Amino acid sequence: MKRVVFNNKFLPLLLLAPQLIITAIFFLWPAAQAIRQSFLREDAFGLRTEFVGIDNYTALFRSSEYLNSFSVTLIFTVSVTVVTMVFALLMAIAVDRLIKSEKVYTTLLIWPYAVAPAVAGILWWFIFNPSIGILPYVLRQVGINFNWIFDPTDAMIFVVIASAWSRISYSFLFFLAGLQSVPASLREAAAIDGAGPVKRFFTITLPLLSPTTFFLLVVNLVYAMFETFAVIDATTLGGPAQSTNILVYKVYQDGFVGQNLGSSAAQSVILMGIVIVLTVIQFRFVEKRVAY
Amino acid sequence: MASITLDNVGKVYPGGTRAIGDVNIDIADGEFIVLVGPSGCGKSTLLRMVAGLETITEGQIRIGDRVVNDVEPMDRDIAMVFQNYALYPHMSVRQNLAYGLKNRGTSKADIEKRVAEAAEILQIGPFLDRKPRALSGGQRQRVAMGRAIVREPAAFLFDEPLSNLDAKLRVTMRLEIKELQRRLGTTSIYVTHDQLEAMTLADRLVVLSAGKVEQIGTPLEVYRKPASTFVAGFIGSPAMNLIKASSVPHLPGTAHAGMIGIRPEDLTVSADGPIQMKVAAVEELGAQRLVHGHIGGDAATVTMASDATLSDDLNLTYRPGSLHLFHPETGKRID
Repeated sequence: MKRVVFNNKFLPLLLLAPQLIITAIFFLWPAAQAIRQSFLREDAFGLRTEFVGIDNYTALFRSSEYLNSFSVTLIFTVSVTVVTMVFALLMAIAVDRLIKSEKVYTTLLIWPYAVAPAVAGILWWFIFNPSIGILPYVLRQVGINFNWIFDPTDAMIFVVIASAWSRISYSFLFFLAGLQSVPASLREAAAIDGAGPVKRFFTITLPLLSPTTFFLLVVNLVYAMFETFAVIDATTLGGPAQSTNILVYKVYQDGFVGQNLGSSAAQSVILMGIVIVLTVIQFRFVEKRVAY
Repeated sequence: MASITLDNVGKVYPGGTRAIGDVNIDIADGEFIVLVGPSGCGKSTLLRMVAGLETITEGQIRIGDRVVNDVEPMDRDIAMVFQNYALYPHMSVRQNLAYGLKNRGTSKADIEKRVAEAAEILQIGPFLDRKPRALSGGQRQRVAMGRAIVREPAAFLFDEPLSNLDAKLRVTMRLEIKELQRRLGTTSIYVTHDQLEAMTLADRLVVLSAGKVEQIGTPLEVYRKPASTFVAGFIGSPAMNLIKASSVPHLPGTAHAGMIGIRPEDLTVSADGPIQMKVAAVEELGAQRLVHGHIGGDAATVTMASDATLSDDLNLTYRPGSLHLFHPETGKRID
């Protein structure tokens, strides 16, 4: 390989500068601020700030509200991920079987991904609205009273659907590409080897999709934990009775609504830790364990 | 073990394109049949129709006494070796071999026994616990063969199984396939575009062109008596010279022929020979040389000893009885 050597030491720095500056100002500096702030406490009027060590953290783990938010997040994240991936896979399988209209369906199925989460939240807010929404109306006709404003379970179902909806598109694209990269001759060989369609899917196709599946699993977990803020904010606002108050939304509520900056910062730092762990898992395992 | 019969078999795609027409082949039990033809002639499609991977729109295919037109691939009792081997990449070699048996509910002990036998025959024992990606091309090829033989099917179907191997390995594997088939005595259909592979492997050749059977016969029959100008030009290397009869009007007994075929090795230089050739290029092969040129307006090749003298114009004579005559319109052989 031929390598071009630049003697100028400043040119590389100059070329990297825009990205480095953005990273520093919008990611590193706020992260550092959050860590610093998580050890401080400010009084109610913002006049005094004192160093309190890990008090903010210990207070969090003693707070039943915070622990509740943890379990809410767990249920919410797992539900969103499972709903997203199951539906995406089903649709990918359906589209993969099409020959002529495959492109049309693919294009149509990507559209929800282009809708901003906040807008998607509003759309679902209208659809699910207990007084004016179409869905509760239809459900009432069959005798189900769906009211997420009062019922914690209904609220959870509501935000899971609203969050998963636009995400299905994204996973669908990956699953479709994965399915199409499984050579037809493998399925044919399996067909000759005596495996029916269902067995073929579970013994040949699904194992070959495992790298895609694992990637989507991590990406969707991260999405459900962190990027669903807009959906929650546009719909339930974490209610009723904290039942949809996921960790990321609680950071915002405690910090910017409740003005408890120290606790909010400590929560951010914990979330940061979770992201780091998830990322490490992805990098460690996606290459080794799942590749065949 | 079973015979395979193709009875007026044809395939028309939904758009109306005809891929295969009117194919009649009777394959005896234990016979090695090679389907050969240029790319796009429909030979793979025909094989896949026997396998059950393509629908049959006309005629009947029978394996043994059973009509299999609407039988699923898994119930046809056949095994297929694919061009790209189609080994399951996430399974070890052992699992690859066992997969078909497991699906059919063979007992564990029996599976183990049969896998061990197949591994022994194909000498892939040392690789049984490896994944396919850790194998070389030739080893993968053996595993693909192994997957076919463990099932002890009524017939083997081969879809250009050697075309992904290098030239040297291809020759070795060709021999191995032949020996294996002899030993097991399993009816086999083998698809290739390589006429040399076809000649060396086949009990009988089926030469296909544009979805139609041009000729069926033993390799020697097809070589000695090609049924049409297509077969004449396709089988044999270097290819048979096909010369318009009008370019060599004075050859005896050729009055009613349109095309005259002469194999390059049947031509010799002779001062008073009746055929004139203009030499254009010479290829040295060591033991002999190939002289390319034109007879009349048609390209022609002559095989000569490497010490023969050359000139720009050659007078050639032919071995008696070596002329092949073809009909002016149909291109079919005239005897």
